[in-house]
Amino acid sequence: MLARLILSSMLAAAVPASAQWFKLALPGTPRLPDGRPNLSAPTPRGPDGKPILDGVWQMNGKYLQNIAADMKPGDVPYQPWAQKLFNDRQDGHLGWTDPAAKCIPGMPKLDALPYPFKIIESPGMVMMLFEGFTTFRQIFTDGRELPKDPNPAWFGYSVGKWEGDDFVVETIGVRQETWLDNAGRPHSDALHLTERFQRRDFGHMDILLTIDDPKTYTKPWTVKEDVRLIPDTELLEYVCTENNKDYEHLVK
Amino acid sequence: MSMRPWLILGSLLMAVSSQAQWLNYPTAGIPRLPNGKPNLAAPAPRNRDGKPDLSGVWDVLHNRPCPPEGCQDMWIPQEFLDIGWSLKGGLPYLPWAAEAVKQRMAENRLSDPNWKCLPTGIVRMYTTPLYRKIVQTPGLLVILNEREAMYRQIFTDGRPLPEDPQPSWTGYSTGKWQGDTLVVESSGFRDGTWLDANGSPLTESGKITERLRRVNFGTLEIEISVDDPKAYTKPWTVKLTQLLKPDTDLLDYYCVENEKDRPHLVGK
Repeated sequence: MLARLILSSMLAAAVPASAQWFKLALPGTPRLPDGRPNLSAPTPRGPDGKPILDGVWQMNGKYLQNIAADMKPGDVPYQPWAQKLFNDRQDGHLGWTDPAAKCIPGMPKLDALPYPFKIIESPGMVMMLFEGFTTFRQIFTDGRELPKDPNPAWFGYSVGKWEGDDFVVETIGVRQETWLDNAGRPHSDALHLTERFQRRDFGHMDILLTIDDPKTYTKPWTVKEDVRLIPDTELLEYVCTENNKDYEHLVK
Repeated sequence: MSMRPWLILGSLLMAVSSQAQWLNYPTAGIPRLPNGKPNLAAPAPRNRDGKPDLSGVWDVLHNRPCPPEGCQDMWIPQEFLDIGWSLKGGLPYLPWAAEAVKQRMAENRLSDPNWKCLPTGIVRMYTTPLYRKIVQTPGLLVILNEREAMYRQIFTDGRPLPEDPQPSWTGYSTGKWQGDTLVVESSGFRDGTWLDANGSPLTESGKITERLRRVNFGTLEIEISVDDPKAYTKPWTVKLTQLLKPDTDLLDYYCVENEKDRPHLVGK
């Protein structure tokens, strides 16, 4: 619990006040008669009929703290060692071993940061730019396969393709030191993430995230994370290394 | 020599992955010679709107001689150390700025934001010997950097620069085409940014203009003009060259992952 509190305070420390956010009247935003964005307007679609995912989004913050927030206790299918490690992490004394404490969040934590992120589709690649940690993911959509034996990377390697109205992203090669959430759920080098991006309407999207890691969990498990559009604004700069005060205070 | 470029080089080397692990994937749309090698002297690619496409993975021009023991994996260019090295008489520092640079070099650059794994700012993003990828989309140019896996957005949708933005390391950038040159205006920087490893300062009053021109398929020329009346007696302009790295992609590079040098640096 302590770890969670400390991490959330660390994440809160460097966030700019909302009064400083940009206000832009972005074109292409459906509006109500009073000029406000109509967030329940239909999902925008491109010439190919596929949903357009572009926009500035923000995930429900609870999934950063607890990726299994919507699951019943006992529903996460831990392998015994993973259950033990998760339990050991609950009193906070291992908080310093989370790379996020040193400003590297990993995946899937990156998507779940409580700061806006921006999706930009370009030919052959979808970019996700994150305000939190001012970092990015590249999701290749040019038909390439996942690498066979990649050099482990903090956010792994991602390819995406459309299945009907779902944008389906597969990710492997995530550095195994990272935590799935601040609560301390572990993963191994066998982690295979599948995200299904489902834009429900103009202002709302779900990400169905499947965690398939047979070394850590006895079977794949899926969570549904809700994301809302943040209209008429832009990302700000967030530099974790600028003012990270917590790491030295975490019990080692 | 008071400068210790090899130390800088050493620090940059620490966390880099070896070349053997770099991704090897053919870049789409690249013109090739009969032997299959990329034809980097081919004309610059153009988008449907007729404007040049600046997209690609870019590296610095290695214009600095290697140390006696041989070239390193991360081979810094002249401008990494001194952004004004090509200018006759050097940068036109105001007295305080000249003094600050002298002091910073004497202190072995201990106060360099780079050592603390802070953002490089937009000028050093270009001179750091790691790759960066330009992705040109309608209305927006994104630069994705290996260094700290950071990005920069350049808005080309006609929006104006914000009037009084929250100062940031990367600033705020808008671009528009003048012929085949993308002209990028940036402001909104925070005090304390270094433009090079010698510590040439950039202040909150700084404005930077970049003129990006893809000379041919494999070469990008970037003219950088810095107008910062709080640090320099007059605006100055330098030209950087970037070379396309075909058939590869970015890897992540995190300074915070394994920064070992700073505790060992000794200043005067």
